[in-house]
Amino acid sequence: MVRVALVLLLLLAACSLGAPADAKLTVLATGELADLGPVLADLRRDTGVELVMDYRATLAAPAGHDLAWLPTARYLRLRGAEPGTATSIMLSPLVLGVKAAEAAKLGAQPTWADIADRAAGGELRYGMADPHVSGTGMAALIGVATAAAGTGAALRPEDVRCDRIQGFLAGRAFGAPDVAGEYVRRQDDTGGIVAPESAILALNASGRLREPLVVVHPRDGSVLADYPLILLNPDRRAAYDKVVQWLRTPAAQRAIMDRTFRRPVDPTVPRSGPLAAPIGNPLYFPDRQEVLDRLLQAYDRAGTARQVIFVLDYSLSMAGPRVAALRRAFAALTGFDRFSIGESVTILRFAGEVLEERTVTVSRRADADGLQAVVASADLRPRTAIWGALERAYRIARPGAAIVLMTDGENNTGPGVAAFLAGAHDAGPTYAVGFGEANQAELGRVAAATGGRVVDGNAESLTEAVKELRGCR
Amino acid sequence: MSGDESEGAGVEEPKFRVVDTRRRFLTWFTPPAGVFVLGFVALLFAGHVTGPLQHITVVRAMIASKRDFFADEQVKRILLGHGYQVQVTPAGSFELAETADLDSYQFVFPSGQAAADRVYERRRGQHAIGYKPFFTPLVLATFRDYAEALVKAGVAGPQYTGDKPLYYRLETKPLVAHMAAGDRWQNYNPRLSANRLLVQSPDPCRSYSGAAYVGLVAYATYGHPAATEAEAVEQARGIKPMLDAEGQHSDDMAPKFFVPEGRGFATVAVIYEHQYLAYQNRRLDNGLGLDTDRVLLYPSAQHETAPDLISFSPEGDAIGSLLMSDPALRRRAVELGFHVYSADTAQFDFAGYLAERRIPEPATASSDDETWLPKDVPFRRMIDDVGDCRW
Repeated sequence: MVRVALVLLLLLAACSLGAPADAKLTVLATGELADLGPVLADLRRDTGVELVMDYRATLAAPAGHDLAWLPTARYLRLRGAEPGTATSIMLSPLVLGVKAAEAAKLGAQPTWADIADRAAGGELRYGMADPHVSGTGMAALIGVATAAAGTGAALRPEDVRCDRIQGFLAGRAFGAPDVAGEYVRRQDDTGGIVAPESAILALNASGRLREPLVVVHPRDGSVLADYPLILLNPDRRAAYDKVVQWLRTPAAQRAIMDRTFRRPVDPTVPRSGPLAAPIGNPLYFPDRQEVLDRLLQAYDRAGTARQVIFVLDYSLSMAGPRVAALRRAFAALTGFDRFSIGESVTILRFAGEVLEERTVTVSRRADADGLQAVVASADLRPRTAIWGALERAYRIARPGAAIVLMTDGENNTGPGVAAFLAGAHDAGPTYAVGFGEANQAELGRVAAATGGRVVDGNAESLTEAVKELRGCR
Repeated sequence: MSGDESEGAGVEEPKFRVVDTRRRFLTWFTPPAGVFVLGFVALLFAGHVTGPLQHITVVRAMIASKRDFFADEQVKRILLGHGYQVQVTPAGSFELAETADLDSYQFVFPSGQAAADRVYERRRGQHAIGYKPFFTPLVLATFRDYAEALVKAGVAGPQYTGDKPLYYRLETKPLVAHMAAGDRWQNYNPRLSANRLLVQSPDPCRSYSGAAYVGLVAYATYGHPAATEAEAVEQARGIKPMLDAEGQHSDDMAPKFFVPEGRGFATVAVIYEHQYLAYQNRRLDNGLGLDTDRVLLYPSAQHETAPDLISFSPEGDAIGSLLMSDPALRRRAVELGFHVYSADTAQFDFAGYLAERRIPEPATASSDDETWLPKDVPFRRMIDDVGDCRW
């Protein structure tokens, strides 16, 4: 009798302590979470809940699964799909992983501008996932574009300027969905990848790299992925709670850190090794889907070769401060403004006739630097043949080109404005910068006829104009 | 454990013994079973596990930031000891008040008055009993170097003298003037973020603290709360650029602000005081010592929030009553950083507890006023206009 009672009590106790009832939850998961396999096996052993992972590369709102496990809910929120019940499970900042020599050249704590500068100059070739389907790729574009806008605030649609992210994208060597795997194959001819910190540390630990990658946290901030586990099917609430509770135990948080190099969300779990490094400043994340759409437009256009023609007045009246300002404007073309790989740049110096015409298609940093020498010329001549020079520019312009015309006087030789306008001028817009005695009315007519605009000429605006009028519409 | 049969076996020739299997089983079984049963009973009484015979009532609740309290293991244990398990669905206060299907919950717990009032309005004529178990001020949390930048900017000062003060006073009017002017952190310290000097706040459409922050910025800008809807619209239009510059709002800011990577998430975040004190307490529990890098800014327009737990059912009433009267829960609330009302005995004293843990006590405002917040209708209109809410 006693025996029966005892056994019964033990059995009942065992039941109430929660013998796991097996349950399966379907999970729409971002592909990078495949590394959680061993952790999920432990989860199943301890809780009886099996997560059936369906890996997809997508930013879209999921449907038809019990749960979703994405790097961030921010993109869902932008689409108005606010996740109801969601719990952050782990953290990983978006970073750049580069070889040691490249990291040394970027210097301590580089900004996105420093990275864009080297990429545009052809010195940094990296892999980055397609932002159309990858939160990581999109996060990188947001980081670069926010830094390029320089507003210190969240990106607005009007802040997204494709010319500024084009330089950064010029260094993009590949965009395979599995960026880390592709890097392994191409590690000899690429400098690194843009990826979550966890992916880079995992690569380093994999033994598949001939040279480990150094994790670089851009100083001006990047997106921090927090991997929310989102309940989509409210009927599975009990199992979801079990899973979340288990994943957030200190032991599970440590296992995640040790096996996948993601940082715990539990502040009291100490970070080990490279995960103890600080991650830099916050990035204000845009709050409009339109911003992302603009970024994707800019991204889609980044591959197309760009042509810029500078038509610069070197008549005698330009002597002194005006030529000096011109030189300074070109010297300031660094960082996001650097002439980038593949960009075709022509400098056309004129006075009474075309004095010099130099075209380079940038394939390395030195090419762009060579243009500085042309601009620095002290060869000033009498008379001003503005429309003749501009005619020449349109003869060499390919469709889609941008032309920057800079002058300080009246046209006094060669064809007049009417003759110019009678000819072909439909390859691209002319942005006209008028100094001093420039005929604003004529400049205005030409700018309007070509789809460009007139910029008031002074030392500051010249620098801005040279930076900002370089096409990419 | 040795078996009976070997007992007494010596060098002499073996003898047969009659083995009483029943006795053998009990000798083997009783001691461990006894230990188990005793331990189990002890656990049962302590509330660590639920007995097979005890009926556990699962109470469904929708809770905003105060879910921190219900997620605490000790709180769960104490409630279980009373036969209750609270199943929490997280939501922002206004999300809860404006859009949630209230009838599917047995109680809700929005974080502030305006959201609670909306719940009472929607539940008019139905069971809706309010309990105010504790209160906590709305604060801005930041890092010491950012707080010092605000001191340099002339908008903040330490609450007390001493090395590494944890609390600062913050003058909201000049702060908002700096924000509106597009001032940057690096103007005060080149090592800080290049971002604009801004406060990061939760989504005002969803969260009470986000909404209260909108009210705070409006008051600091215009000097008086909007009295009419028309005025609310006008003020909203004026302050919207400052709030839009933050970009996409987060949900509850505290969890990510307090991770070691928090600097990469927000530099100044709108949170509640209890979240900071709970974090410090947890560090002390884990032997990590006080975090002197994270500090709080107490706005001059102070706002003590006294959230309403609103019950829609007898089960909800039971939870509300327990929070109001159960000594263990009251004690735990203080340990989790809440102020409890002074009707409680001295042992639950907020100041006393902080002193015991050697956490400096923040100075609370001389007056507990929400007078700078607009009244319900203009307040909701202002939030909607600033946040383009999907209510």
